Amino acid sequence: MRNDSTQPPKTNHQPLLRLSGVGRTFVMGEVSVVVLKNITLDIRRGEFLAMVGPSGSGKTTILNIVGGMDRPSSGSVLYDGQDLTTASNRELTRYRRDEVGFVFQFYNLVPNLTARENILISTEIARDPRDADEMLRLVGLEDRAEHFPSQLSGGEQQRVSIARAIAKNPQLLLCDEPTGALDFETGKRVLRLLVDLNRDLGKTVVVITHNAALAAVADRIVHLRSGEISELTENPHPIAPEEVVW
Amino acid sequence: MVKALNLKLLREVNQAKGLLLAITSIIAVGVTCFVAMQSAYHNLNDAKIRYYRQCRMADFWIDVKKAPVTELELLRSVSGVGELHTRITFPATVDLENVPEPLNGQTISLPDDPTLVLNDIILRQGGYFTRTRSNEVILNDAFARAHRIYPGQWIHLLLNDRRQELFVVGTAISSEFTYLLGPGALVPDPQNYGVFYLKRSFAEDVFDFQGAANQVIGRFTPELAGESEATLRRAESMLDTYGVFSATPLRLQASNQFLENEINGLGAIATVVPTIFLAVAALVLNVLITRLARQQRIVIGTLKALGYGNAQVFLHFVKFGLSVGVAGGCAGAVLGYAAASGMTEVYRNFFEFPDLRSELHWSILTIGLVVSLICAVVGSLHGAWSMLQLQPAEAMRPEPPTHGGAVFLERLTWLWRNLSASWRLALRSVLRHRIRSIAAVFAAMMGAGLLVTGFMMVEAQNYFLNFQFYRTMRSDIDLTFKNEQGRDALDEVRRLPGVDHAEPQLAVAGTFENGARRRKDAIVGLLPDARLTMPHDSQGRRIPLPDTGLVVTRRMAEILRVQPGDVLRFTPVKGERRTVEASVAVIADSYMGLTAYADIHYLSRLLGEELAITGAQLQTRQEPSQLARLHHELKHLPGVESISNRRDLVANITKTILQNQFVFIGVLVVFAGVIFFGSIVNSSLVNLAERQREVATFRALGYSQWSIGAMFLRESFVTNMLGALLGLPMGYGLMWLTAKAYENDLVRLPVISAAWVWWSTLALATLFALAAHGVVQWRINTMNYLEALKVKE
Repeated sequence: MRNDSTQPPKTNHQPLLRLSGVGRTFVMGEVSVVVLKNITLDIRRGEFLAMVGPSGSGKTTILNIVGGMDRPSSGSVLYDGQDLTTASNRELTRYRRDEVGFVFQFYNLVPNLTARENILISTEIARDPRDADEMLRLVGLEDRAEHFPSQLSGGEQQRVSIARAIAKNPQLLLCDEPTGALDFETGKRVLRLLVDLNRDLGKTVVVITHNAALAAVADRIVHLRSGEISELTENPHPIAPEEVVW
Repeated sequence: MVKALNLKLLREVNQAKGLLLAITSIIAVGVTCFVAMQSAYHNLNDAKIRYYRQCRMADFWIDVKKAPVTELELLRSVSGVGELHTRITFPATVDLENVPEPLNGQTISLPDDPTLVLNDIILRQGGYFTRTRSNEVILNDAFARAHRIYPGQWIHLLLNDRRQELFVVGTAISSEFTYLLGPGALVPDPQNYGVFYLKRSFAEDVFDFQGAANQVIGRFTPELAGESEATLRRAESMLDTYGVFSATPLRLQASNQFLENEINGLGAIATVVPTIFLAVAALVLNVLITRLARQQRIVIGTLKALGYGNAQVFLHFVKFGLSVGVAGGCAGAVLGYAAASGMTEVYRNFFEFPDLRSELHWSILTIGLVVSLICAVVGSLHGAWSMLQLQPAEAMRPEPPTHGGAVFLERLTWLWRNLSASWRLALRSVLRHRIRSIAAVFAAMMGAGLLVTGFMMVEAQNYFLNFQFYRTMRSDIDLTFKNEQGRDALDEVRRLPGVDHAEPQLAVAGTFENGARRRKDAIVGLLPDARLTMPHDSQGRRIPLPDTGLVVTRRMAEILRVQPGDVLRFTPVKGERRTVEASVAVIADSYMGLTAYADIHYLSRLLGEELAITGAQLQTRQEPSQLARLHHELKHLPGVESISNRRDLVANITKTILQNQFVFIGVLVVFAGVIFFGSIVNSSLVNLAERQREVATFRALGYSQWSIGAMFLRESFVTNMLGALLGLPMGYGLMWLTAKAYENDLVRLPVISAAWVWWSTLALATLFALAAHGVVQWRINTMNYLEALKVKE
């Protein structure tokens, strides 16, 4: 399912998510910390979007808000026309369950479950799940199905984590520093997997990274600095993950 | 197929099995106590109800000197009195050929032909009286078993000064003697005391009671059952002219009182003790589940990110607790049923029932299981709930470092400055983890409380035995004369072989009155320098008999509400029955029965009579040959109504009590150990798990595993000792409540403490703490420090 970067653009310009004036302030005791200020951004259906910025720039906070894990302090977030800001906890849970797949920097696999069971934990609650074994094959781990996370390498764990995210068949794949804990070669393989999922399965993929070099594989790149979008660039010619150098 | 989340649960339960086992055992002990005691309670109570119904148990007993049956039958006219039955009953001396000493017994008349009567018998061997001979007897079954007497054999009783040969036709039991006690006894002693049912016609002949009886038993009519006391009073006053010795409602009947006491006490303890265990278990479980939930913060965040709802996550953690509840509940139900069978078996040794059996009470098992589940769920709620409060995004972040500010103890600068760094660390940790510390203190308090109560119970029993049988009543043999005798009877007794010393007694039954308060009992006249019955005060000092006035035992003084200096009215049953007034001189302590003592000369003067004696107390030599001769003489001594071998009786009581104490202390220490051990292991291991990185850092700094262990030991020592110290007064209070709950007119337990109670409790608390620390130290020794030092997210 490999693809070349020379393929025609597959995004339509319909926004899947629309963030308007989103702000987020954390109150810790008597101190308020403003993490996001007035973020306005459309995330298009089927695009591969990269968010880059130094640590503390607000990348993870945006991802959490977009993923229905957190609520903005101000502004609104529309997913397919549905306002996530006013959604109830139950509606947010349903949104996370049906629409979103998360990939975490440290994989967050349940230590007591095997690779396969870690995928099952996701498919068992999904509305339209895909077959767990097929997902393992997709990420190339069919022979590691019965291994526990502690028996897997970092790259393998991250592939299980991706398999778990896509097994629910979500529209949106949100990846928080998916290669952050991996070595160079393994990181590139994981990136290839994400690009393939985007190209072949049409998943909207949002990847956040502090590594600007990785962003070159994305269709668009959002630069964040101190909780604001400092720059939004189109990347008409994304490179293949194998060509990335850092 | 097992869901992935449940698989996670199963594996985690398996990993934490050591800790869970500790908590499970606390729950299991609680449920075991509940099921065992409740089942035993129902077994006993159901058996009692069946037995009383089957034997048609009377509601009251009235003992008179002698009255014509026709007069006694007139009681039917008293409103509230229903069915009646009159009997002839006397104490008897039993002369068994293969037993050297004379034994004590009670004869009771039964109709010559089988008739439905109150306090009926249930035949166990042989049959009812026949028409073949008049001198037939039915024995109580326990006595027959103890002496291997079977229907068809002959036995000899000393009845009304005559040695009578009786043919045994059967053995029987009766609800009236479910707990059969001889005079002065505390536990049934079938070796030394029996009941002998005689044909009515035979009893009339032997005791010269033609057309007369000396006991009437009856039932209250159901519609006036609420006014039973007043009814009994009316019946009693109707028989006044015949000299009423006692009018006893069922409530005060000795056998019933012991049985009811046991049943009620069991019912009360069956609630209190399991509650203690389940409360400790819930608190300890709370600590564990809270720790688990915090440890799994990121997993919870991930589950929420995957789309798991709050309810699913909550249920997942509650299931963790539930698994403990199910395991503890099931184990407790099984063990409880087994223990109930054991307890019921023990009760069979003390109470004689036709069908006391250990039954499977499904409702109790179900309640035990449900209570255990509730306890487990309650214990899990806090931990599970705390995780739901987190927003998913927040749950994904590692927990912020715990607040590290000063604790209030640090304000006591003089104290704080003098503490070593390790002690400061321990105290800070104890004060910062409040819930965990409270759980540990509470568990230690309950454990220590149980130990104190149990040890005080043992101390009370030993004090009781010593006070009652070695200080107050010290005779070897007590004789009761059939009729009042003069001084010469005592001289005759003194001349018996093997008698070292003999003292006279004048027991006068009658009614005490103080205003509206009245009580039927007896004044016992003693020589002023008597040494075989010596009343003592609460400090254990001997009370010299005053020249005038009465020495009243405490329980009696409480019932009559009298204090030293007050004047009591006393109407004797015998003689002219003239009411006299006597002042209360001193209150004596007594833990058994109700009595008043007086100088025998004063008592005679008070009643306006010559010095007379109703009994004698003997101190005997212990050489077997001398004793054998004495026993032989006593068997044939005329004018004696009953002979009580106090030495055997006391030996039997002491043996029974000490045997039970041994088991009791064993069970108690195991139970307290489960609480202490379970709680300490749990809180220390949770503490260790939370501070793995800290421990690893200490190791890197060059601390030995033992000095790190010592830090944890300090913490558990602080909470454990604090709890144990708090448990001391709690245990004292619990003992006080228990003594009150079990107190009756026949027996009461002293609430006394002794140094050994406190020291043993603290020593055991320390021992359990050290044993539990062994597990913690082992964990420290086997911990992978490098792994713990690795930076996690």
